[in-house]
Amino acid sequence: MTMSRTQRLSLQALGIFIALTVWEIAGRILGDALLAPPTAVAVAYVELLRDGAMLRELAGSLRQMAVGFALACLIGIPAGTAMGRVKQIDAIVHPWVSMLMVTSVAAVVPLYILLLGTGFWFRAAVVFTASVGYIVLTTYNGARGIDLRLLDVGRAFSAGALQMFRMVLLPALYPYIVTGVRIGLVHAIRAMVVAEMFIILGYGGLIYQSGLDTSTAPLLGLLMTLMLFSIAANQLLRLAGDRLAPWYNQRLSLR
Amino acid sequence: MSANKAILQKEHTQSGAAPERVAPTSRNPARGSGWSQRPGLSYLISLAAGVLVWELVSRQLPGVVFASPLATLQRLVEDSINLKLPLALAHSLGHMTLGFVLALLVAVPLGFLMGRNEKAFVMLDPVVNAIYAIPTVAFVPFLIIWFGLFFEGRTALVFVMCVFDILVTVAAGARNIDPSLLEVGRSFGVRGWQRMRLVLLPASMPFLFTAMRIGMARAVNAMITAELFLATVYLGKYMQDSAARFDSAGILAVIVILCAVGLGTQGALKRLESRMLPWHLQS
Repeated sequence: MTMSRTQRLSLQALGIFIALTVWEIAGRILGDALLAPPTAVAVAYVELLRDGAMLRELAGSLRQMAVGFALACLIGIPAGTAMGRVKQIDAIVHPWVSMLMVTSVAAVVPLYILLLGTGFWFRAAVVFTASVGYIVLTTYNGARGIDLRLLDVGRAFSAGALQMFRMVLLPALYPYIVTGVRIGLVHAIRAMVVAEMFIILGYGGLIYQSGLDTSTAPLLGLLMTLMLFSIAANQLLRLAGDRLAPWYNQRLSLR
Repeated sequence: MSANKAILQKEHTQSGAAPERVAPTSRNPARGSGWSQRPGLSYLISLAAGVLVWELVSRQLPGVVFASPLATLQRLVEDSINLKLPLALAHSLGHMTLGFVLALLVAVPLGFLMGRNEKAFVMLDPVVNAIYAIPTVAFVPFLIIWFGLFFEGRTALVFVMCVFDILVTVAAGARNIDPSLLEVGRSFGVRGWQRMRLVLLPASMPFLFTAMRIGMARAVNAMITAELFLATVYLGKYMQDSAARFDSAGILAVIVILCAVGLGTQGALKRLESRMLPWHLQS
């Protein structure tokens, strides 16, 4: 069962290599129109980078996503904490959060277009709707099981409600918040692409348009960038989590 | 690995159960009393409060962009009686079910392979995580090229949208099967098919149900996504038509239906789980 680090790494490299080889062979057989092989995608990718539209659109889309996602965090974290600590709030809000979680992002897109048009706030609102539920529920689970002794300390120092949130609850919830933000971000990126592909604007619009191309190489290149961004953002948040709450991983490994 | 953890965490948040390391709630009750302790009553109060907020918001906005709850209910009842909505829903469930079943057939065996064979896990994990990181809707142009705009394309989108979530959950679950259960099996000398049936399968049922719940949520999501992003049909067409007429009641009616389908399938799977696995304690 136990493998050395080098063994692990070489197996991982082998797995990636096999996947790329299978893709290359399948791509050669099917042709560029159906599935461009990695070698063709690499060539197209250099072209995409040189053209500049890809990175420009990505930056523009991310800016809008960031606004929606930041709002989701700003509202979701206090809301989740309140739900976790006050039974009445939980009873009122929880059913609606569950409904939000099962409702597809794609389904609210037509409604938001009527409500907000297709401008800045439309995309921010779709991203918000898609990510806020995950942030709320993760924070909620943390707040529900918070150590009572921590609250007692806060009470002993006669902290007010806001002080209690900022100085006791929030630090105790860091691990949960980091997890919630990570899961929320995955859904925010998904929602951004859904919203943009629907209105054919921004990065999602670019994906949609390159789908009409005769070669699938640029399309695959765009997907690669999205993949790299998603993985990088996830790793960055993990790092930030380790910084903010270094006790988190220790506790996990102790379990 | 990262995605697995995230998924398990996600499952906790979705099922509403606290992560294991959290102290039991009984020892640490949140404040509350009276109506909030009675699930049926508090659910009704919550519904009423939400509908009231909806009503108040809709009064501030013109009816074309945000219909009131009453207008939405009226549309829901009207188009249910003339069978427009029920027929569309019945058609929609077709590609949803097929895509979901196909995803289960592929992801469950592959997940077991990854979960029970360390070498396979180490090899496949980076590849699965890489593909999983791409938002599934971005595959739509591909699916159109490969499967067309109609039934095959819709089924393919449902399949792609749920297969990775199921795979990652099953792999994480199978990796974490309690070793003591396997040891008991070994000491009683069960192997081969018997081991599968008497040890592995019962030990796997809880996370298989979890995987099904996560996959089903994605499948409902994918169902309407497919109807809006490929050829617009059934509920998707109903939504698009309503949007073109600036008829927000129609859009909201579909959202209500999708919500009900989502909650209904989750509830049904949970009920099935507690009936089939009474030994698996749910909080």
